[in-house]
Amino acid sequence: MQHPSDALAFERLTMPHLAEVARFARSLTRDAARADDLVQETYLQALRGWHTFQDGSDPRRWLFAVCHHTFLRTTRREARYVEAPDDDPELESLATAVAHGNAQKSGAAETVERMDLRAAIDRALAALPAHYRGVVVLVDVEGRTYEEAAIILDVAVGTVRSRLFRARRLLQDMLFEHARDWELAQVRASRMVSPSLSSRPSATPPVRPKETR
Amino acid sequence: MTPPDAEPDARPASIDCETAVRRLWDFVDGRLPGIAHAEVEEHLATCALCPPHFQFARTMRGALAASAPAQVSDDDETRLRERVRSALRSLRPDDDTSPQ
Repeated sequence: MQHPSDALAFERLTMPHLAEVARFARSLTRDAARADDLVQETYLQALRGWHTFQDGSDPRRWLFAVCHHTFLRTTRREARYVEAPDDDPELESLATAVAHGNAQKSGAAETVERMDLRAAIDRALAALPAHYRGVVVLVDVEGRTYEEAAIILDVAVGTVRSRLFRARRLLQDMLFEHARDWELAQVRASRMVSPSLSSRPSATPPVRPKETR
Repeated sequence: MTPPDAEPDARPASIDCETAVRRLWDFVDGRLPGIAHAEVEEHLATCALCPPHFQFARTMRGALAASAPAQVSDDDETRLRERVRSALRSLRPDDDTSPQ
């Protein structure tokens, strides 16, 4: 296998993909400054590992893999994250539906429909463990197939599926938690603005059980 | 929508709520085999409880897709390119042949 071995070849093949790598880094980090750091570290790691690049393979996909690996490495160093075992994907689907059913009863599901979902998603993604964030970003944010994500993450397609389903359930849980906080904040804000109305029924009532069907 | 691998002569069996929601994400992602997909569709058409779970799953997936960062601006790309090239040069201090 012939390898391009000089810095010129490295930059010629990798620099055209810098904007896409930067966008991927922003999806992963949800923070512009951290994303810039990640892009720089990605290219440094890529140059150090240039001898592992197989001539003729896709440099863009390779850079994404290096970027994700670098992201995981730096995040684990910060958070000492311990990987959870991959669970049964069908059980994750079941748990997702059960959690949504509970949120319907508590009113949190209805609240999610009224709040700024974009901001809530950003917050939930930023809080999602890095182990799961990569797969969600690749499949749900970037729109890649399970098979493409598996190549970039260097895992089996089945692992992509199980991590993705777990990640979505965690995200859904965080959205409902955010909805409960948001609901309480709305109630507190309305009491601060018009304390005389605090004894009246609120336009955005606190979380209460919904009627069961 | 019928997936391309649906068998024309196969008829979907009646499934219960648990079976349907166990297939939630595979269904939403369009990754179920044809007959299994049709079974979920048929269940959703007659069940009062399950459709909201599937609808919320679609809503969340749509919100995730919409959360993609904007394209990196030309200015940001230029600034970042210079920063990366400078960092790369630091790895090879004797090399001043960076491409322009």
